[in-house]
Amino acid sequence: MDPLAITSVQGTTGTGYVSNVGGVQSTDGSSFAASLTGAVDNVQQLQNSSNELAIKAVTGDLEDIHNATIASTRAAVTLELVAAVRNKGIDAFSEIMRMQA
Amino acid sequence: MTFDAIGIASTGLTLHRKWLDAVSDNLANINTVKPTDGEAFRARYVVAQEGEGTTGVFVAGAAFGSAEGRMVYEPAHPLADEEGYVRYPDIDLASQMGQLIMAQRGYQANAAVVDRAKETYQAALQIGRN
Repeated sequence: MDPLAITSVQGTTGTGYVSNVGGVQSTDGSSFAASLTGAVDNVQQLQNSSNELAIKAVTGDLEDIHNATIASTRAAVTLELVAAVRNKGIDAFSEIMRMQA
Repeated sequence: MTFDAIGIASTGLTLHRKWLDAVSDNLANINTVKPTDGEAFRARYVVAQEGEGTTGVFVAGAAFGSAEGRMVYEPAHPLADEEGYVRYPDIDLASQMGQLIMAQRGYQANAAVVDRAKETYQAALQIGRN
């Protein structure tokens, strides 16, 4: 057999491994802002209750020490979560702004 | 609740704090002497109950020890009756000390849960950072 007799490649067929990507649904653009605002309000509330308990702790009106420390822990972790979400959002925005035409 | 493990542990902390309070009251009054025509100091026991339809533990109420107490013959005591008896509370010091340790360890265990849960949530926030 002549090794140089390479036949032309026939047309390819789909493997079926990758499914077709459907169209991306558009959002009204307000949902991310709404969730971020909700989260910020939530953090505000947690910090307020943490502050109230801290004031109670120093004035001696506190019934349970752990309530104050837990409220402060909760506020701190929630703030970290909101900050992480905000950073991710800003990263995504910057990434889009860096796109070249 | 967003941080449920922390919320559940806080109910446990509250219960053990109340238990600690009850043991503290019982130990403080372990030598409280009463005349025989009244009730002896009654030991207080916290009754725990799991959250019904929810999570956590709650105080269902308090159970009280015997009002009769122990009758002790102490004729020299100013509160002694004509036969020379006074009422001491029926509290076992060893049992109260055991309960004191259990309440303390339970409180510490729940506090450890709060700390671990916090560390866990903070680890979750680190996912994908690097």
